[in-house]
Amino acid sequence: MHEIVFYLAFAWMTVLLVVGAAAVIRLRSTAGRILALDTLTLILVGLLVLYADANRSSYYMDAALVLSLLAFVATLVLARYHGERSIF
Amino acid sequence: MDPQLSLVLPYLADALVILGLWVMTVGVYGVIRMPDTYTRLHAASKAVFLGVISFCASSAVTGEPAIIYRAILIAAFLLVTTPISAFVIARAALLRGERMETPGALDESSKNPPETASR
Repeated sequence: MHEIVFYLAFAWMTVLLVVGAAAVIRLRSTAGRILALDTLTLILVGLLVLYADANRSSYYMDAALVLSLLAFVATLVLARYHGERSIF
Repeated sequence: MDPQLSLVLPYLADALVILGLWVMTVGVYGVIRMPDTYTRLHAASKAVFLGVISFCASSAVTGEPAIIYRAILIAAFLLVTTPISAFVIARAALLRGERMETPGALDESSKNPPETASR
């Protein structure tokens, strides 16, 4: 990947991150907010993968993997708690 | 590695990154544009997930084995968990009785029967 593409992609992903955070705050329904939070974390995972690609370092990939695991568990717990008022 | 191939590969990585950016932009725009949670799920689960998959493919094109294995792992994990997240969110919205705001939407669940039977 070329340098200029990396910088452009990083800047644009930051814009998407800000838009996703605004969506988390602005959306009316709680299910929509959980959905936007999931989207936000996926964008963050993409950002980490991009950074690992540009730096040729695999440690950021580990961080991305753990973040996607945490996002899955968080979405599951939030949605189940919102839907039926109990997690298990 | 083949010298011609190593000449082409960075451009392939660029193309994959730009494709992923485009798909993720469509996904985020869909999240803020769609009228209700059920239609937002289309954009949020499918489009953003495909963007991350494209980024993983781009890092697999240029990287070393340690990056490639982790990229495959992230892609496989997201492939498994994204449908589950979408299903759980849709179920929560349905259990809380959210209405479908899309014009012409037909809610076939028993909680919100359609007002007009003539359609």
